[in-house]
Amino acid sequence: MHSVKGHGRSWRTRCVVALLCVAAVGACGEDMDEPSSALRAALLTSGPVSDAGWYAGAYDGLLLIEDSMDASVSHQQTATPAEYDEAFIAYASAGYDIIFAHGNEYQDAAIRAGEQFPDVRIIVSGGGRVSENVVPLIFRLEEGTYLAGMAAAYMTESRIVGMVGGVAIPPAEGAFRAFEAGVRAVDPGIEVLEAFTGDWDDVAAAKEATVAQLSRGADVIIHNLDAASFAVFQAVREVVDDGRVAYAIGMNGDQNAVAPDVILGSAVIRIPEAFLSTARRWQAEGVGGAPIYVNTEQDVIDFVFNPELIDRVPAEAIERVAVTKSAIREGEVDLPRVIVVEGEVEGR
Amino acid sequence: MSQVELVLFLESAVRLGIPLALAAMGETLTERSGVINIGLEGSIIAGALGGALGALAFEGAGLGIIAGAMAGLFVALIFAVFAISLGADQIITGTAVTIGGLGMTGAIYQAQFGATGTELSLPTLAPVAIPGLSEIPIVGTAFFAQAPTAYLAYVMAPIAWYVIFRTAWGLELRATGEAPAAAEAAGVRVRRVRFVATLFGGAMAGIAGAHLALAHAGTFAENMSAGKGFIAIAVVVLGRWNPVLVLFAALFFGAASALQFFLQALGFDIAYQIFLALPYVLTLAALAGWVGTSRAPAALALPWEPHR
Repeated sequence: MHSVKGHGRSWRTRCVVALLCVAAVGACGEDMDEPSSALRAALLTSGPVSDAGWYAGAYDGLLLIEDSMDASVSHQQTATPAEYDEAFIAYASAGYDIIFAHGNEYQDAAIRAGEQFPDVRIIVSGGGRVSENVVPLIFRLEEGTYLAGMAAAYMTESRIVGMVGGVAIPPAEGAFRAFEAGVRAVDPGIEVLEAFTGDWDDVAAAKEATVAQLSRGADVIIHNLDAASFAVFQAVREVVDDGRVAYAIGMNGDQNAVAPDVILGSAVIRIPEAFLSTARRWQAEGVGGAPIYVNTEQDVIDFVFNPELIDRVPAEAIERVAVTKSAIREGEVDLPRVIVVEGEVEGR
Repeated sequence: MSQVELVLFLESAVRLGIPLALAAMGETLTERSGVINIGLEGSIIAGALGGALGALAFEGAGLGIIAGAMAGLFVALIFAVFAISLGADQIITGTAVTIGGLGMTGAIYQAQFGATGTELSLPTLAPVAIPGLSEIPIVGTAFFAQAPTAYLAYVMAPIAWYVIFRTAWGLELRATGEAPAAAEAAGVRVRRVRFVATLFGGAMAGIAGAHLALAHAGTFAENMSAGKGFIAIAVVVLGRWNPVLVLFAALFFGAASALQFFLQALGFDIAYQIFLALPYVLTLAALAGWVGTSRAPAALALPWEPHR
């Protein structure tokens, strides 16, 4: 059972798939017109794209490919691991050239589909397994969260900061470890709290985890959630309304405009640009056999202060973050790296 | 744990337990009539979106709760038409209703607020402290300085108990769930009783969803029900189909998940999954008869065809 979202592209795809099946059965042996030689790109997400963050960025990336490369695109939301395989098969057999599977959870199904359909290219965001046609796209988000940690260390008055995550998968762990390191680079005495709720979309759980950290005295909270991130912003807003000084930090996308009253800044992945450059690279020279790393060097990973609240940030903090960003770009900062891709030594 | 920490923990436990209590209380009546509504999750997410849209449209959280109840009831109506009137398999229908509810709410939300979403800041249902009771040390604020929907759950528990076990309609309800053929012979309109009980369960689940959006999170996100409908069904089992015990079971589930966040905030390095699993282990124990005696209504999940 696919929980296909109710927007035009997905339905159109399903209709196309259905029609192709009918045509294949009915018109067996007859020549079928190839639709066109234009790029066909698909996106799989295992959560709603309305999270104004991780999945929303992927969806925007798909639309960017559609506009910039005149591609025909399609998106499906898959709910269960059984659906991952089904979705890959559906897209690969319908002749899609490139499938973006936006999350670590797709890595095994991607390998299986890759073996079955050697012509398709599957890009797995944060994936851990490589083959000739399955390519992990590794966002070095730790470069952004390290900077976020530095900013948090300058802003905390209680000298306690918090991290609220969904599930402790390697990319999420990596982002948090670097945040911690960034905090400690400024002030080793700051306490860093950590909580995982076990669910990316459970707003009630995210809210309570945030409230628990705020009541322990934390006054800067970074999240690594999808749609449930809204609850983190809301929890911070509630203590701010009660007269406390506290901030949230946005993640995965530039979330500064999502809750401009409480977000200090965002650790950004410019997912749309990363998707587009990957698709372009596929068209120009092909991709496969090795992971693609994106980081601050290509400006895909970044930390951006919220312009609405930047007046409150000390000049020293802004300066330090900017200097460190250049240093990270040059590879001069020793960041904690979590191994995401199997057999990986030191990729950047 | 200091006293302040204990109070914070209890407050969190009650906040997390209330939506489960509201949904499970409705489901208790539904199951007593012989219907298991797996589509509860669909009613909860519909209630959350209905509550959010209602609160925005009427500019008030109170009317939002009513809108949420209506949305939950509407989803239960779809379930009831297929599972009760047409006699379709309850489990399959309920699953379809849940998936449909999650998909439809997502589609409506994206149509309304853009495909990539945004954080809605909704009018919230503020906590109301009950004078006197809320001043009781330790438990006072946790139980009696909550949103009005929490008091609805407290009040509903004894009322539902009375209705089920002490009224003529309650007798008909239980008869319908235990022995529909006998109930029919005694003049009970089995399908009508099941219909009413199912719609009531849907409305309560809708209120639970609206509570999540308006009293707890203060926002709406797709999939925010996050399995609470299924947990509520487990709560009914742990509460042994008795509304008063169901209320306590829901608070226990709330406490178990609150404990998880609390220990993480205190810096304990224990796998959080252990605390998540605890209530389910107890539910299994209840099902296996290790925690008191409990038995599901005999005709639970069996479709009913009238014989006249």
